[in-house]
Amino acid sequence: MKRGIILILVMATALGLYSQLPGCSGMGAARGKSAAERVYVKPGEHDAYYAFLSGGHSGQVYVYGMPSCRHITTIPVFTPEPAVGYGIDEKSREMLGGFSWGDAHHPGLSETDGNYDGRWLFINDMPNARIARIDLKDFKTHQIYGPIPNLSAAHACPFPSPNTEYVFAASRFSVPVPNRAARVEDYAKEFRGIIAGIKVDPNSGEMSMGFEILMPPFAWDLSDAGKGPSHGWSFFTCYNSEMAFDSLEVKASQAEMDFIAAVDWRAAQKAVDEGKAKMISGAPVLDPATVKGIVYLIPVPKSPHGVDVNPTGEYICASGKLQAEVTVHSFAKMQEAIAAGKFDGERMGVPVLKYEDCLEAKVPVGLGPLHTQFDDKGNAYTSLFLDSQITKWKVGPPWEVIDKIDVYYSIGHLMASEGDTRNPTGEYVVALDKLSKDRYLSVGPTHPEAAQLIDLRGPKMELLLDFPTYLEPHYAQMIRAEKLKPFTVYPLAENKTPGMIARAEDARIERKGTRVDVYGLVVRTHFVPDIVRVNVGDDVYFHWTNLEQDDDIAHGFGICWSSKNMQIEPGETKTIHWKAERAGINPFYCSNFCSALHQEMQGFIEIRPQGSSTASLQKPSPEKVAAVSALLNE
Amino acid sequence: MSYLTGKFPAAERRMIILAALVLLPVFFLPVLPIWTMKLWAPQYREGLEIVIYSNTIRGDLQNINILNHYVGMKAITPQDFDEFNYLPQALTLFGVLALLAALVNRRWLAIVGWLLFTAFAALMFSDYARWLHDYGHDLDPRAALKLPSFTPPLIGYSRMANFKVLSLPGTGTLLLTVAWLLGPVAAWMEWRDRRRAARPS
Repeated sequence: MKRGIILILVMATALGLYSQLPGCSGMGAARGKSAAERVYVKPGEHDAYYAFLSGGHSGQVYVYGMPSCRHITTIPVFTPEPAVGYGIDEKSREMLGGFSWGDAHHPGLSETDGNYDGRWLFINDMPNARIARIDLKDFKTHQIYGPIPNLSAAHACPFPSPNTEYVFAASRFSVPVPNRAARVEDYAKEFRGIIAGIKVDPNSGEMSMGFEILMPPFAWDLSDAGKGPSHGWSFFTCYNSEMAFDSLEVKASQAEMDFIAAVDWRAAQKAVDEGKAKMISGAPVLDPATVKGIVYLIPVPKSPHGVDVNPTGEYICASGKLQAEVTVHSFAKMQEAIAAGKFDGERMGVPVLKYEDCLEAKVPVGLGPLHTQFDDKGNAYTSLFLDSQITKWKVGPPWEVIDKIDVYYSIGHLMASEGDTRNPTGEYVVALDKLSKDRYLSVGPTHPEAAQLIDLRGPKMELLLDFPTYLEPHYAQMIRAEKLKPFTVYPLAENKTPGMIARAEDARIERKGTRVDVYGLVVRTHFVPDIVRVNVGDDVYFHWTNLEQDDDIAHGFGICWSSKNMQIEPGETKTIHWKAERAGINPFYCSNFCSALHQEMQGFIEIRPQGSSTASLQKPSPEKVAAVSALLNE
Repeated sequence: MSYLTGKFPAAERRMIILAALVLLPVFFLPVLPIWTMKLWAPQYREGLEIVIYSNTIRGDLQNINILNHYVGMKAITPQDFDEFNYLPQALTLFGVLALLAALVNRRWLAIVGWLLFTAFAALMFSDYARWLHDYGHDLDPRAALKLPSFTPPLIGYSRMANFKVLSLPGTGTLLLTVAWLLGPVAAWMEWRDRRRAARPS
């Protein structure tokens, strides 16, 4: 007996220790390991990084684990996602604001002191000029701000400032401000670009209007916020300073120089606070012709695309797109030139600095440079669209190219591990390619996009893994996994959602006129109530609360012969609207497999002819209430 | 008889006070578990837990109840246990008795207290065993899954359906055991001293 107890104690200790084992980070020294070993994450273990890939014109965000390159989940943002009911339940439907599409380009993680803080992820919807905020506590979209007034096609967006004071947006396709009937031929006269600073509440992350600046109608393309010494400034590239309005391919590619707009966002906000802005379509717009000291133009050769500030915040690196060089401007030199008033005229009221006064270096990276990321050793990595390569180069004298690696094919953005912060980790870069061609098993004409994981830890870049993605990642962000601490159930005690009920005794169906409210709860494996009686013509609002507090026990609510389905997470309350259209019986069921008796989790809607005398208050049977109540009585 | 009405030597008296101190303060607060039961299933590798204190039950109760209802087990709720209304008071009472015995320095009081405590502990163990038996046997005949009746382990490890169950005393019980053992230890020390004193030197 005694030996038995000792054995049990030993077993208990062993089991206890086993359950304490953390998911290994897989971060060990990579040297000497094969590429396969370096991306292999053992079953049950976790990746070292989260990667957030924009979903492009799918409107979503894809979450990957790195270095395994496994797709973990997709976060619905700008596009309805019926599996979870995003855009279908009342709250998310309202948030989508009538749009069923977005083009999500640039995810931007919130920062504190120029480093990712793991609180929020912002992402733009270019065509509809909107910005979404995803809370990284629950990986859900919590706010969609916009359409931003006056602004058209928010491509240079959101690129948060170092303490997430602001996210930014700028017009890629200028339009009249305010937008009105106009002739396209009057482009230079009538059309204007907008650069907007959107304030972010430091506690809630809630976005609100900060300021707008009226800009020449150039195509404002990409952006990055200054950091360190350049904190307080934000930089925006443009093409089409020619102000062409048709056949841009040729007409917008003629000028030797386009520009970076350098915005002093503290000065801009101050000017708005001092009442120097004019309200246009509800937004405070500053005109640089009358409000000085808020924005300057720095010349950059040949239709630049990406602009990226290096980790120390000293250099502004613009990729030439139609030129084989990265142009590196010095923030300090730019400040000197501004202080000395050395301007070369103005464009529509915006002072233009001299190219030579700001220039620090030109780095001959290769053909079609688009974007630059950084590591922890003072190196930069630039994507080359035409050469299908990544170039590694040294930031600082002698400003030389160190290494190149082929990618497959036609790379757009690239994403280094925390590679746009003040402290990149220098471990990986991911090439986000525009064409996959022959890289994967063929799935017909619609090819997936391609991506490659590349190891930066050795003296030379090394290709580790090639993986397909769904359409179409542009920019991405990679953050160390331990910075995120998502919760996995919503605490019921904190659920204050209207329509929430916490007890089976409170389940009921109320009707007022033709509006029917079903206050119900779901728990393994019950709908309470599971019989709902309505009349033809009724607008029925189902408010379901999931009373589970267990990991991964989500329940679904799908109505047969309808487009209505949603998932209700543990501890969550969601409302869905459904209209009773035909007399008859309409089953509903749990659409998200929940437990052993999931198949039995169903109910019926009894739809009676219009005008039937259906009770104004219906309650589930006392037997059902008692059975479910016993489960929940703690 | 003079043994029973006698007084304690200093060392033994300190032991009784120690026993009192162990018994007295902690059991009104659900800090030290009396008993713990841990359950593992293939989809619950991290385990579910029931922790019994002198005045309540905590742990993954709602979840365990939701899982148990499939086999028709009664829901486990703290309100069902009258024991929680007197267990902390009783433990405190034994502490007071021990303290009193040490303060008035009467051996008989300590012995009576110890015997009551022993009887009470035995009663509680059988009560606990009865509860376990009832939970495993009083199954709802209308349950979705029909399971042969069973008894969860009082102590040790067993398998029930897809669950592995490990039942162990908690730190509270370990402390109680220490307090209980201090009685015989004090008696043994005294017996040893008396033998030494009786031995001709």
